Amino acid sequence: MRQALKQYNFDWMLWRTYEAGSRLLAGTKQEYDIALRYIPYFRDPVKEVFKAKAGQLFLQMTATYLDNIVHAHQRGKKTCMTTFCFSPAIVYALDMVPVTLELLTVMMTFLYKRGTGEFLDYCNEAGFTETSCSSQRGSMGALLADIGTPIDMVVTDSPGVCDTNANAFSFFAAYKDLPFFQLNMPPWLVEERVTEYHVQDYKALVAFLEEQSGKKLDIDRLRQILTELQKQDELINELEQFLCYRPLPLPVTTCLFIYAGRFMFAGMPIYTRLLELLVNEGRENVRLHQQGIYTSHEKSRGFFCYIDHYTHSLRLWQMLQELNIGYSGNILSHFWADSNPPVIQNNWEEAAYSIKTGTLEDMLTSIAQINSRMPMIKSIRGPYDSPYMWLQDTLALASMYRADFIVYNGTPGCRNTWGMVKLLAQDTEKAGFPTHIMYADAFDDRVQSWDATRDRFEEFLRVRRLI
Amino acid sequence: MFEEFYTVAQTINNEYIVKAKEQGVQCIGYTCSYFPEEILHSLGIIPYRVKGLNVSSLSVADAAFGPFICSHPKCLLQHFADGDYSFLDGIVVTPGCDSMRRIDECIRKTAVNLNLPVVPPFFFHYAVPHKITEYSVKWLVDELQRFIDSVTEHFSLSFSYEKLKESIAFYNRMRKRLEELNALRMNYPARIAGADAVAVYVAGLSMPRDRFYSMVESLLSQYTGTNLEGRRRLMLIGSANDDIDFIKAIEGETAVVVADTLCYGPRLDVDYVDESDEPLHALALRYLNHSHCPRMYGGYKQRLAKVVEAIERAQVEGVVLQNIRFCDLHGAENGLLERDLEKMGIPCLRLEREYGPMADYERMRMRIDAFIERLEVRRLVCDRP
Repeated sequence: MRQALKQYNFDWMLWRTYEAGSRLLAGTKQEYDIALRYIPYFRDPVKEVFKAKAGQLFLQMTATYLDNIVHAHQRGKKTCMTTFCFSPAIVYALDMVPVTLELLTVMMTFLYKRGTGEFLDYCNEAGFTETSCSSQRGSMGALLADIGTPIDMVVTDSPGVCDTNANAFSFFAAYKDLPFFQLNMPPWLVEERVTEYHVQDYKALVAFLEEQSGKKLDIDRLRQILTELQKQDELINELEQFLCYRPLPLPVTTCLFIYAGRFMFAGMPIYTRLLELLVNEGRENVRLHQQGIYTSHEKSRGFFCYIDHYTHSLRLWQMLQELNIGYSGNILSHFWADSNPPVIQNNWEEAAYSIKTGTLEDMLTSIAQINSRMPMIKSIRGPYDSPYMWLQDTLALASMYRADFIVYNGTPGCRNTWGMVKLLAQDTEKAGFPTHIMYADAFDDRVQSWDATRDRFEEFLRVRRLI
Repeated sequence: MFEEFYTVAQTINNEYIVKAKEQGVQCIGYTCSYFPEEILHSLGIIPYRVKGLNVSSLSVADAAFGPFICSHPKCLLQHFADGDYSFLDGIVVTPGCDSMRRIDECIRKTAVNLNLPVVPPFFFHYAVPHKITEYSVKWLVDELQRFIDSVTEHFSLSFSYEKLKESIAFYNRMRKRLEELNALRMNYPARIAGADAVAVYVAGLSMPRDRFYSMVESLLSQYTGTNLEGRRRLMLIGSANDDIDFIKAIEGETAVVVADTLCYGPRLDVDYVDESDEPLHALALRYLNHSHCPRMYGGYKQRLAKVVEAIERAQVEGVVLQNIRFCDLHGAENGLLERDLEKMGIPCLRLEREYGPMADYERMRMRIDAFIERLEVRRLVCDRP
């Protein structure tokens, strides 16, 4: 790694950048325009985010998330390295700070032209495999090189779902000799013994976090967070209704805001405010019969059955708008509350979670169930064609959003999906959805350039007469 | 003396399986060392650890799996698609790792896509947790019971705890004998080549176990040993290996693999099942505790300790850390092992390879030769007064 990169902690750099970005709209229009001239690499992502009314708050929220990490120890809080598919609510309930590797990787790839390339490579220098998932490696490299806030403990919930994910956290903990906890996921979802396993495992996690944080779980705080989560679920449900309309009454970045916000601040009021802004924008646009994308008309609509493409400047979202493609959701934006529209429409209550805040036992059961229904954790744990798994979820969501086609995008490190995505695509094609498999890396343009990725995507759209 | 073992180990089907099948004995394949053979043995079914040997094309496997998947499960799938495993009456798929667990869908969908009868009649997804706790052991006990219920119903068999206890005792005896065999290469000087030892282990996973046991007994009573003194003593660590040619390539004329932690190797046999415990609980405990696979996240320190113990016991001079490309579990752990073992003064060589016919034989040989040279120099320096 270049020495220059070691001069500043990467999370501190990110925090300062997002902090500055979130204040750009505080001045006059003229000041804003002039400021953009001085941030050539950052202006495209900033402009893209500000196309949504909730954009400014989204940047503030991101800056707050980074601020929490950078100043955690100064404020007497422990840091808990974890993964996007682990609900951070319990970490907040124990007054600790979650450090989610995939979020940090995305924050960096969005902003920096070079992406996280050198951190990705540093992982290999430290002995980690180059074939592992780039979503963790992007920021893990910096933390392995000690240019970030020190981590106090490591928690993952992907064993049984995603090896490369679990392996990254396990590697980091072993490399740094840190306390490590893993939640296991059986390959099924709805059996009684699976529920029992989830709850027992979660209780063991709470005991681990209590021991590491030196704090006892505050029941009132947990209740408060779960109540806030309930509120957030209701707002997401309303957004889901809007996202089914054609043309789309919300900006194409809405889905990104929904899941990124939840991964950062599940159960925290700042995320509720973001959702409220999005809901208000949706309501207003529906009332005025106007669409949320700033283009001529929605030619076609896609459903991303896995993740988005996160490299520099939110180019995926830019492209979708340029091509007049509507984009309502992906597998990451679904959290499977019992009140969630696809759950209600399909009578899938047994596969959903419900939040009960009566007793501590109720709350622990609820939060264990929430966690076991997190994106990827719910759908990609067992054979993809089993009940409540990836195929069923993909087809139900694509239908609900009235999508015209399905896209798979991931990373070459994603062993759990590359093991059967071709088979999934065959099934979604049979179900009537033209399906495109992207061979790109969502976090690393060096694998396949964005231009090549876009060319292939457009070719798919043209050949299948979707635009 | 080892020819018979080599023949069985290096073929998919073999005369022992053919004869047993002719007599109406069933045979069930499995994909992972976390599956307890004892249960099938107690039911009179032959357990068969599926192998990926001698595949010359991955035409079907590449169509089902994506491009970023380890070549070992791909080779397994190709054999299924080619009908090489048509003798199996069942298959047990375990989530050993992501690539391996997707064999489940890939076999089933390949059968549909190619309209081929490649799915064995009995199909079972056996869910093994990734950690050892009271509740994960309970989960595995339930899983064992679910397997017993399913297999006995499918084949109309009756299960008996007495027979299971007998099978557990039989497997413990077999482990004991295999430990004696392993000692022949671990002791100084080594009296058996690593390739020969691996041939015995792999053969043992591919034939009726009672017959295998008597073959091992006979080998141990008659074998006088080979003189392997003067060869560099290596330990082999990393991804699964059922390919004896790979071991031969490492050993060449100058080295001997005196210890390994590989799947299909002796790590399957070093832990005993507690015969005084309730049988299912004892099996669950043994197979979960038997955690020399990095699929058991968070267990690195224990695995490192076992490696160091083996290095000391076998007087290992150098460690070869290999992984099949896209095997991140072993690849990453090899990185940790390299760091920690080198720190202890134990020379290490990291190799990434493809599973299957050894297309990169010369490249690998060159690196191993260079490593052996390093060991030679080290020995000269260390022996210097």
